[in-house]
Amino acid sequence: MTDDLDLMADEYVLGLLDELAERRFEKRLATDSALRDSLARSRERFLALDLTVPEQIGAVTLWPGIEASLTPEVAIAAEPEPPVVAPPEAEAPRRRPLRSYLPAGAAAAAGLVVGAFIASQTLQPDPVVIAVLLSDQGVPQAVVEDFGNENARVRFVADVAVPEGQVMEVWTLPSLEMGPVSLGLLEAAAPRTLDGPELPRPLAGQLYEITIEQEGGSPTGRPTGPILAKGFAALQG
Amino acid sequence: MTPTTDGADAMRSAIEACARQDQSALKHILEVEGGRLLGVAQRMLRRRDLAEEAVQDTFVQIWRKAHQFSAESGSARAWIYAILRNRCLTILRDGQRLSTMGAEDLAAIQDARQYLAASEAWRGLGGGALRDCLAQLDQPARQSILLAYVAGFTHGEIAVIQKVPLGTAKSWVRRGLAALRGCLS
Repeated sequence: MTDDLDLMADEYVLGLLDELAERRFEKRLATDSALRDSLARSRERFLALDLTVPEQIGAVTLWPGIEASLTPEVAIAAEPEPPVVAPPEAEAPRRRPLRSYLPAGAAAAAGLVVGAFIASQTLQPDPVVIAVLLSDQGVPQAVVEDFGNENARVRFVADVAVPEGQVMEVWTLPSLEMGPVSLGLLEAAAPRTLDGPELPRPLAGQLYEITIEQEGGSPTGRPTGPILAKGFAALQG
Repeated sequence: MTPTTDGADAMRSAIEACARQDQSALKHILEVEGGRLLGVAQRMLRRRDLAEEAVQDTFVQIWRKAHQFSAESGSARAWIYAILRNRCLTILRDGQRLSTMGAEDLAAIQDARQYLAASEAWRGLGGGALRDCLAQLDQPARQSILLAYVAGFTHGEIAVIQKVPLGTAKSWVRRGLAALRGCLS
């Protein structure tokens, strides 16, 4: 039995488990301390292969890009909190974790500019906040105007393809305690006003996100699918 | 080149400082380990731009998940390198990413990983327990393990490289891993 655990841990460290086995392994880490110990031992066993690599120069030049990505946000998790030991890329299917090359300040500034444009074009009351949602490449995909009265309007600024049999679901994170709240579903990338639940007035920096979910939306009331785009609200006016 | 106890404690303290939102601690980790992390990523991905992306993503993840690191996670360095390694594997297996590369690029990368990465690592090991124990394995088992760990190849790719059936490659790896566990315990 121990041998099986140790072998599993070794194969995980070597990246040899298939996707399903990998997900099962990471899920099991959360509750199985013997497995966590086995994983730690396995990592230490092979670490010397990494530590003896010739050092590349210029690593410190990466700092500005890293620093720009250290926004004090809380990512809306698409699955339960990863186990203590497993690195955070415990994401299924294998997809790149979200990162934005647009510093938070620039995204917020973009939101203000977009807000002024939209307000000048419509007769609607002003939104409380506007969030420009970016793909993981930092490219704007959609704009969410939250009117703070249960209505939110979503427009798309890029070609977004939703796989057949799936829908987009729009989320916001009013607070850590509340967790992610669904504002509604979108079948296609067309402008739409969503009639969402009653929520506290949106705040500057509030997180908005669109995920791809199964038809009918997330069955759990929390995001379960991949993140299409996310962004932080800019206060209007 | 084994970490001293002081070095290990310093790295652990740096991660704990990151958990307290101390950005200078994260920068310190980049200064101490960044060069090696880039080296590991470059060895697996064979492209400087991809390696830099992997390292950048790794440091953002270190920052976000620093509060999850604890004593039972093993050493701080092992935790950090695990994040990097997983980022590299994800990039390697991201079909969308690789599909944007030309056929010549892909072939060149595949060749370099296949022929250079594993042998570079093996030569670079110098002395130490892992080196001694790897040396005791038969060549197919050792090569398979190095191809997986250092270059990020899958069982299927290892089977093709070694020109054996998939089942044989898998059993070489398992045999080698079991022998290493015994030798290093």
